[in-house]
Amino acid sequence: MVASNRTVKGNALQLGSALPSSRTIILVVAGASFVLVCVVPILYMLGVSFISADGLFTFENYRLLLLDARQRELLGRSTLLGVGTALLATAIGAPLGLLLARADLPLKRMLRILLVIPLVVPPYVLALSWILVTGSTGFLASLIGGSFLSAWTYSLTGAILVLGTCLYPLSMLATEAAARRVNGRLEEAALLVASPRRVLWRITLPLIAPTVAAAALIIFVLALAEFGVPGLLRVRVFTTEVFTAFSALYDFGAGVALAVPLLAVALIVGIIAKLITGERLLAARRNLHPGLILRLGRWRAVVLGLLAIILTVTVILPLVTLAVEAGKPERITSALRSSGDAIHNSLSLAAIGATLIVVLAAFLGYARARSGARLRGLVDLLFITIFAVPSTVVGVGLIGLWNRSGLLGAIYTSQAIIVVAYLARFVPIAALMLAASVRQIPVSVEEAAEVGGASWWRTFTRIVLPQMRAGLISAWVVSFIFCFGELGATLLVAPPGESTLPVRVYTIIANTPSSEVAALALLQASVVLVPLVILGLFLRGNATKASGA
Amino acid sequence: MSTALLRLIEISKSFGKRKVVDRVSLEVAEGESVALLGASGCGKTTTLRLIAGLETPDSGEIHLAGERVAVADRNLVAPHKRKIGFVFQDLALWSHLTVAGNLRFVLASLGVPKREHAERIAEMLQLVRVEAFADSYPGTLSGGEQQRVAIARALVGRPRLLLLDEPMSSLDTELKTDLLAELDALQRQLRVTTVYVTHDHAEARALAHRIVLMSAGRVERVERVGTNMTGKAGL
Repeated sequence: MVASNRTVKGNALQLGSALPSSRTIILVVAGASFVLVCVVPILYMLGVSFISADGLFTFENYRLLLLDARQRELLGRSTLLGVGTALLATAIGAPLGLLLARADLPLKRMLRILLVIPLVVPPYVLALSWILVTGSTGFLASLIGGSFLSAWTYSLTGAILVLGTCLYPLSMLATEAAARRVNGRLEEAALLVASPRRVLWRITLPLIAPTVAAAALIIFVLALAEFGVPGLLRVRVFTTEVFTAFSALYDFGAGVALAVPLLAVALIVGIIAKLITGERLLAARRNLHPGLILRLGRWRAVVLGLLAIILTVTVILPLVTLAVEAGKPERITSALRSSGDAIHNSLSLAAIGATLIVVLAAFLGYARARSGARLRGLVDLLFITIFAVPSTVVGVGLIGLWNRSGLLGAIYTSQAIIVVAYLARFVPIAALMLAASVRQIPVSVEEAAEVGGASWWRTFTRIVLPQMRAGLISAWVVSFIFCFGELGATLLVAPPGESTLPVRVYTIIANTPSSEVAALALLQASVVLVPLVILGLFLRGNATKASGA
Repeated sequence: MSTALLRLIEISKSFGKRKVVDRVSLEVAEGESVALLGASGCGKTTTLRLIAGLETPDSGEIHLAGERVAVADRNLVAPHKRKIGFVFQDLALWSHLTVAGNLRFVLASLGVPKREHAERIAEMLQLVRVEAFADSYPGTLSGGEQQRVAIARALVGRPRLLLLDEPMSSLDTELKTDLLAELDALQRQLRVTTVYVTHDHAEARALAHRIVLMSAGRVERVERVGTNMTGKAGL
């Protein structure tokens, strides 16, 4: 469906031929794979929620959901978690983004990489260090003889603090991008009549506000969809209840009905986010001459101090805590040995997953970037919505769909189902990234190749893909980071005896010395931090090249 | 010349190794209209931005109404204190504010009492004949209408100096001719001192008393329009 309308623009040469072109065939196959892997499990969940145990149409699941006081409490708590996280993450992230875009700060590039770390470290790792820091026998307690935070270790407040920490970089990056996109002339026009402070409040901020709001909405959904943090901090929300209903009580109907409110929220927020951002979601154009530069002057020391505090609390403290808890290097090597299989599985499955995701997303992103405006809006909405579907919901959907005899069953009982889960969750976000990268390439470049006699496939592989190189690498790294940290869906679909690093940490946490758990979490963090640094260095190389031109 | 509103004394500006403005000196008298004419990249836009205070000169001085506003590497008077109206090449209308809102922001920023806002906005919009669009957003207007709004916004604060940076470059020829005539009439009526940047000789002749020809960051020569004082006005 994504691909079938694709012959409309920039491909007039192939219109009118009787046989479908290679382009149509390939894009239709890509679109169909996307629907099969990403869309069908969710539609399946929706369908099943209306079917009773004896196979009849029913609203019973929803009646129970609405009537049960416990469920209403769940709804309240989930909403609080989402709203609290969105507010906290925006309060930290939006000012940071503005500073990165406009302030005369030193070492911005390094700052940006450091500040993004909480986003790429899997949330459960940060939740773990939160427990280690604040717990009654934790780091803080041993430091000052009693932890004033231990009452909040396992609480909604704790979950909001941890998730806010995980997700503020998202608001930061969105705000920075928006601030860089503002036409500098708009600010200069205002600087001719108003002071810089007034220009910031009355011109710059209103212009970037829609993007900041859209980022807050997406953070709200991601917080609602998060499983690891509330799971570890024993906060009962929809995602954890879906997991419990399914894996502890084997109640498929209840699990599905619990998932539906989350699907509805994902869809609604997807629509709102799309409406307020429009094409801004993808626009990657950067304004090289900002009109308003925030000269910090005497505030410089204050701002640098705040930055140091944010970095200490959200990056250094969690990682150092894990390292201290893990203790001696022998402890880490023994943890490595006892969890060797899980580590190996995690690395190879995440690498395979990221590769397949990027291949599929490259075609989908291309189709998205080159399609008409109306279709584009729909596809974006689909991408955002699917990305917002909680991991445990995806997991339950995959089980319902793939747990059968025959070929599906063969996949379901092997590690391949974990890769399918990765694809189901992360293809949309990679496709959005790659669509942005395709849009940078003028259609005329393709048309020139076509007029020159090149087939579409040749044009795509020789002209389009090479120009997408930076986007493809970024999308792979981001996909790898997401796959490597995936917990909720993997936990549900992983075949017996097969586990990944996050699943292993989650399952052993209750009955294993915390030093070993910390060692594994530290390992998890370091594996994603290495690619982050590589990506940072790579992007820097690119930026220097671009500005040198 | 003691009546000079604007004096540029040997100003220079480089971006990296490229010298964009090279020891430019110029005097503009009160009420005069001067065009900076030259090919793209000759430094005329940068000169305009230096006058407005959006750039800082590397050397030289800028005087406005007898006051030194910029010296080497330092703007002594911030852009918003220079009482300058500026029409940008891409117009730079604030897309999140209505047409009236664009003008109101200027008046409020300059500290004009609130009770005068409505009247001055209406008056200005009428003058450039876009009063019907007061409550529209700039994005919904045509190119010519946006042009008029940009001029209205630049003038509503009653600046002592109006700077225009190729404001007609995005318009088609017919519209351009109309707007030029109107701008000329407006200039005569308001007697606002104007510096107009363009690469179009006809545009420069239609509006300016004097034409300053620039090339490679320098002033090549100055022509007086409509008289034979330099002997080159028939060009």
